[in-house]
Amino acid sequence: MGYKTDWFRGIYPALVTPFTRDDRLDEEAYRRLIRYVLPHVNGVVPCGTTGEFSYMTLEERQRAIEVCLDEVNGRAPVLAGTGCPSTRETIQLTRWARDAGVTGVLVVAPYYLKPTFNEVYDHFRALDSLGVPIVIYNIPQCAGTHFRWWTAEGMLLDLENVVGIKDSSGDVPFLEALFEKVKGQVGIFVGHDEIVQAALAAGCDGAILASANLIPDIWQTIYRATLEGDLATAQEWQAKIQKLVRIVATCGPTQAVKEGLEMIGIPVGVSRHPILRGGSFRREDYEELRMQLEILGKIPQAEVVYDLGGRQVTTRVAATPHTPRHVSGWTLRVGEGFAGPPFHEIAHVDLLIGRRDGPVGRAVARAMEGWGGERGLRIISERPLILLVPTVTLRTARQRQLFYDFAAEGILMAVRQNIENGFLPEAALDDLALIVNAFVHPAASIGRRVMLNNYKATVQALRKAIEGRPTLEQLFEERASARHPFRYAP
Amino acid sequence: MGTRLDWLHGIFPALVTPFDPKTEEIDEEAYRRLIRHVLPYVDGVVTSGTTGEFPYLTRAEQRRLVEIAREEVGEKKVIAGCGASGTAQALALAQDAREAGADAILVVTPYFLHPSDKEVYQHFYDIATRVDIPLILYNIPQVVDAVLPRNVVEDLADLPNVVGLKDSSGDLTYTLEILEYTGDRIDVLVGHDEVVIAALAAGVSGMILASAQVYPEIWREVYRRVREGRLEEARALQRRVQKLSRIFCRHGGGVAVKAALNMIGIPVGPPRRPLKSAGGALIHETRAEIQLELEKLGKIRAEEEPIEYPGGPLEARFGDLELTPEAIRAHGLRLGTGSAGEGVNRVQLDLVAGRKETPLGDAYALQLTYPLHGREALTTILEPGLTVRPATLLLPTLPQKNLRQANMIYGPTQAALARAIVDALEAGIVPPSAADEDVMIVLATVHPKALDRHALYRNVYQAARAAIEQAYAPAR
Repeated sequence: MGYKTDWFRGIYPALVTPFTRDDRLDEEAYRRLIRYVLPHVNGVVPCGTTGEFSYMTLEERQRAIEVCLDEVNGRAPVLAGTGCPSTRETIQLTRWARDAGVTGVLVVAPYYLKPTFNEVYDHFRALDSLGVPIVIYNIPQCAGTHFRWWTAEGMLLDLENVVGIKDSSGDVPFLEALFEKVKGQVGIFVGHDEIVQAALAAGCDGAILASANLIPDIWQTIYRATLEGDLATAQEWQAKIQKLVRIVATCGPTQAVKEGLEMIGIPVGVSRHPILRGGSFRREDYEELRMQLEILGKIPQAEVVYDLGGRQVTTRVAATPHTPRHVSGWTLRVGEGFAGPPFHEIAHVDLLIGRRDGPVGRAVARAMEGWGGERGLRIISERPLILLVPTVTLRTARQRQLFYDFAAEGILMAVRQNIENGFLPEAALDDLALIVNAFVHPAASIGRRVMLNNYKATVQALRKAIEGRPTLEQLFEERASARHPFRYAP
Repeated sequence: MGTRLDWLHGIFPALVTPFDPKTEEIDEEAYRRLIRHVLPYVDGVVTSGTTGEFPYLTRAEQRRLVEIAREEVGEKKVIAGCGASGTAQALALAQDAREAGADAILVVTPYFLHPSDKEVYQHFYDIATRVDIPLILYNIPQVVDAVLPRNVVEDLADLPNVVGLKDSSGDLTYTLEILEYTGDRIDVLVGHDEVVIAALAAGVSGMILASAQVYPEIWREVYRRVREGRLEEARALQRRVQKLSRIFCRHGGGVAVKAALNMIGIPVGPPRRPLKSAGGALIHETRAEIQLELEKLGKIRAEEEPIEYPGGPLEARFGDLELTPEAIRAHGLRLGTGSAGEGVNRVQLDLVAGRKETPLGDAYALQLTYPLHGREALTTILEPGLTVRPATLLLPTLPQKNLRQANMIYGPTQAALARAIVDALEAGIVPPSAADEDVMIVLATVHPKALDRHALYRNVYQAARAAIEQAYAPAR
């Protein structure tokens, strides 16, 4: 018979595992990360899915768990990920973890070769004899096997040392079946960041989350508000972070969390290969995650000087380690942005920004004196001066509406937002001109998507132009893996 | 025991249903023309199948299609699609088909409410036992969202009226399993245009295909040669239509077939809404791709378009950018040119590079304000989000007449140019300081008929590399 423990409740971050540039465990960074989250959480999980356990050797997992135990030093429970594809290795690592002093182990369903239900059951039964508290872990999107409620029920209630389950499936009917069958007898944790508030309100005891590396404090607020019955507050916070956690949950959690931590000033390196920068966690996701962290006030502010040729403007912005503190070269700065889906509503923005007395300002003036009217160009802002250009000739009234009403509004939203957050400082607006060349597909339909995609693409293009991204280092790193979407035959 | 029909083999096009562009009413004359167009090459026709948009047709319309087909095909066969999600509707359609003179009916797995195996069995059983007409089972999981279970087929094959199964799944493991268990009792027909040869070689009796109304003569030959054991020839024939078949199967279905028929002079109008002629499942780029493939097959007369590659002194080729030879010299702009490839795969790139403060900086900004229809300049990227440095504009010298041509420029051409620039930068051919200080404009001449994206990528890369090396050669 499984049992319910006091320690298995609340918010647990599934800690990322920091790696150094030469791909070794970065123990110092790991300790810093633990110190960052610890004040806000009820426990920690080293070597979970977000911790890239499947890319680590057994020795590395052991070392990571040791460092974690040492840094936590008894102040919170440590629930260590010890699952492996084979029962043999899982027993080996779990026994080691028990002896090392972990509070409990989080054991993923054995994966890849897709064992049947009875084989999964016996896997956990074999672990049960080790005498360490076990949390069984359902994550079908990675493991490829989904517990049925009756399998989970059997494991949770039959085995002596099972203290709970973490369900990352996001499958609410499954969770509800667990409440029906085992609630109160073992701990039930949700592991899918997008449904946490609903799952806690419905009866989960806690949550083990990738995004709790980034925003442990907000998750704690949601958890506490739910405990106190203040659903309105919990709902409000979940809505505020929904976009952020959707990106983390669906766009490659390991890399998303790691790049997010870098943005907020806790460098932890990058994920191990085959995960890459700009892979599942796409560049447009990076920009959106950054914007969300910025809005939540998680990215530290810094002073940046714009050298506008003879005149300097100082501004304060939410700066990542990639934001230069001094930006010159305002003759002509180039940025590009892309946002989608859906296919026909994608936005692709080519953006130039520079001084009004330079090539950009001169081009705007010449275009409007010359061909601007007949070719559908429009000045959509005076401060900064912005010339909007359609990449593809607009032929129908609908195309014009989508371009001038929806795309243009998205572009202006991005500009207004970047005036407010300091990237386009008020004191520089009279000096600056922009050319925004925007692509709207001739077959686009959904106006609102056209607007939002153009907003996102413009934010990207603007930030990249100002910050000089991508860097050469990034180009060299990613040139081989780049996959141009229009390069291939249908 | 299932019965074999002596005629259920060979080529059967799954006809589209022509509609009037304004009223969406069935265009009967167009339907007759379509049947006359395919008739010399086929063994029969299929009315109101998936390609015929059967879920959008009324019962009366489906009956009318059978009547017309009956009048047109003479001694050849009419297979009537009688698909419905409910059994009563399917029964009614089957009764109509029999009365209207169909030789067999084609009945799809009941869809939408996902009936279980026994319910699916009963559906087919009811039709096969209550309407006396040969019945062909129809597996098409792509639209039904469920596979017709093999064990159900096994039992259905014992019913006297069940004579065959059309497998449109493209899943050869399924086809072979059906042949294994029922091949001695019923005929299996392939319904997936991409796997025809493999299915024929495995032992299916024939084909019901959407593409068999666009190139029935090719399938006729493929069928004959496989039967004669001339597999090499059959493979070569199928390879000629592989891309079009793939487009029909995966990029628009009946909509794409209609587009092709309209292009080759068999007007069949648009699909019924909510489907769009183009810009929905069939995107404009793919529509243009269909056109070129039909030209290659000789179904559409290809306009000869002799093109001119820019010639004369390199420094005189940038006049459109307002960069005169004098300005180029005065500001020390760097020039390079490169070309590679033969015939329609030949490309030429003329490149100008230099500092942002020179008139090249103005030309760069000006180009982005100058949308010249069909010759739009775009920033060069490795992929969206990875802009190359030095910032580079790619400008086609020839107007892009359709989205497919534009796609060749903004796809493979752009990707290859981007890679060449970044490689040259990493190799030190372009100095690191240029990444921030310079801009480039590349004039690209790509043949409007270029079709082979892989060859284009390779040739653009080679030409770009040569142009960059010339422009940034140390001894200038």
